[in-house]
Amino acid sequence: MSCPSSSNRFDGGMDMREVVVMGVGMHKFGRFPDKSVQDLGREAIQNALEDGGIPFKEIEAAYVGHVYQPMGTGADVVNQFGQTGIPITNMEVACTSSTQGLIRAYWEIASGLYDVVLTVGVEKMQRGLLQGTTAPGSYEEVMGLKVMPAVYAMKTKRHMHEYGTTFRQLAMCSVKEHKNGCLNPYAQYQKPCTVEEVMNSRMIADPITLLMCSPTSDGASAAVLCAKDKAGRYTSKPLVTIASWAFGSDLYAKEEGEGEFAGVEVLANRAYEMAGIEPKDVDVAQIHDAFSPGEIFLPEALGLVPKGEGGPWVEAGRTDIGGDIPINTDGGLVSRGHPVGATGLAQVAELVWQLRGEAGPRQVSGNPKVALQHNAGIGGVCVNIFKK
Amino acid sequence: MSQSGSGKRQVSLIADMLELPSSPSEKAHLIGSRCRICKEAFFPKRHYCASCTSAEMEEIPLSQKGKIHTYTISRATPPGSIMKAPYGIAQIQLPEGAMVIAVLADCDLEALSIGKEAELVVEKVKEDEGGNDVMSFKFKPL
Repeated sequence: MSCPSSSNRFDGGMDMREVVVMGVGMHKFGRFPDKSVQDLGREAIQNALEDGGIPFKEIEAAYVGHVYQPMGTGADVVNQFGQTGIPITNMEVACTSSTQGLIRAYWEIASGLYDVVLTVGVEKMQRGLLQGTTAPGSYEEVMGLKVMPAVYAMKTKRHMHEYGTTFRQLAMCSVKEHKNGCLNPYAQYQKPCTVEEVMNSRMIADPITLLMCSPTSDGASAAVLCAKDKAGRYTSKPLVTIASWAFGSDLYAKEEGEGEFAGVEVLANRAYEMAGIEPKDVDVAQIHDAFSPGEIFLPEALGLVPKGEGGPWVEAGRTDIGGDIPINTDGGLVSRGHPVGATGLAQVAELVWQLRGEAGPRQVSGNPKVALQHNAGIGGVCVNIFKK
Repeated sequence: MSQSGSGKRQVSLIADMLELPSSPSEKAHLIGSRCRICKEAFFPKRHYCASCTSAEMEEIPLSQKGKIHTYTISRATPPGSIMKAPYGIAQIQLPEGAMVIAVLADCDLEALSIGKEAELVVEKVKEDEGGNDVMSFKFKPL
């Protein structure tokens, strides 16, 4: 299948600069009815600026990802630190919104336009079932078709049919996500659960139960990107380089067999190629698990786990913090929470902490050097690779 | 559109997706499109080919019968929907190659399985302001 967007001039062919994630920061994910998006964003940005050792007045541009906030939110959030006149751009590509800011900041620094760019994700959400993207009164809405858990559930049923993945294995993903979330002070849920509790929680869309669903959340995340040759001015922390990026919209594929994940596979291969690594070189990964079964079929599509082995790998603990390929060490979307516009940079923050060795009780042992981020949403998938 | 015995009209909820029978001897069918260049078939119909981008699309009637490619049972009803949970949702693979996402008509939800045949059925989903029956489609597992 052809993918015209796979040609990538940011692959070293041009005279591009290396770009590092110099500082990351979070506001805890959860429900904060008494806080505004400005409050949430201010805390995350302040943490990222302090982490990177950089004053706000040095920031040359900013991107703010969000989905459900009003027009102009980006400026409202960033201008709290001062009205320095920098370009502030709002980004919306569903659940990948804040990662889109990271990618564009990367391009701007790599190409030499700026040295330091701030990227932010903020969100406040309503409780309840997250729906797809249909207009009010549309056929899909009237017939009850565009329900996000149902979309994931159908992919999961297919995986169970093709590879014998079990309901119990799906539940074990949720148990693992919640176990990791307990170790993350920024996680919305810091409460363990058992396989039986997951299996017996309310069925939402077979085989997905309530405890396999990511929640709606409030929260914020931020990252400061800097040209690698300039970062020494600000920080003495280990520098985490953006080794590659890949972003694409959904690639047309007949939804049969492997075709369902063709787009993810194309993007992952591009990211591996640009970073000059193979899937086996990845030491720690963040996977977009909007629902727990994503931790089974997405690592397969990314080449991190052999095709069809996702279930057995989870069952054997091979994706645990101490496993062969630790996945979602921060609890993932299911336990950390999923304030959609802020999710992407929360994934990045966790990977930066892991690569720096700052992840505390969640720290992956063996001095991880290569990290992979997979962030997916309606209309877009990102696969980025970070290196120490 | 068609006339029912009572004189009430039947109207399609989705006129560009579902062709209602114009006489009792005809069957309803879904309206898809096929690319004249790469032969890929789609539902719902499109102006340009998603696979090869050509504008050479022809409208085609789609088969009434297909196979369940995958399915789920929705246990909650989203806002704005006329469905009552639980209800089945499936991807139906049609012989033309098009994949249709549809609600499953009344059936034993526990007996569903991938690969099962399913057939297009047309059901009244509501009445419009003029008292006409608004018709939509589901697939009934066979």
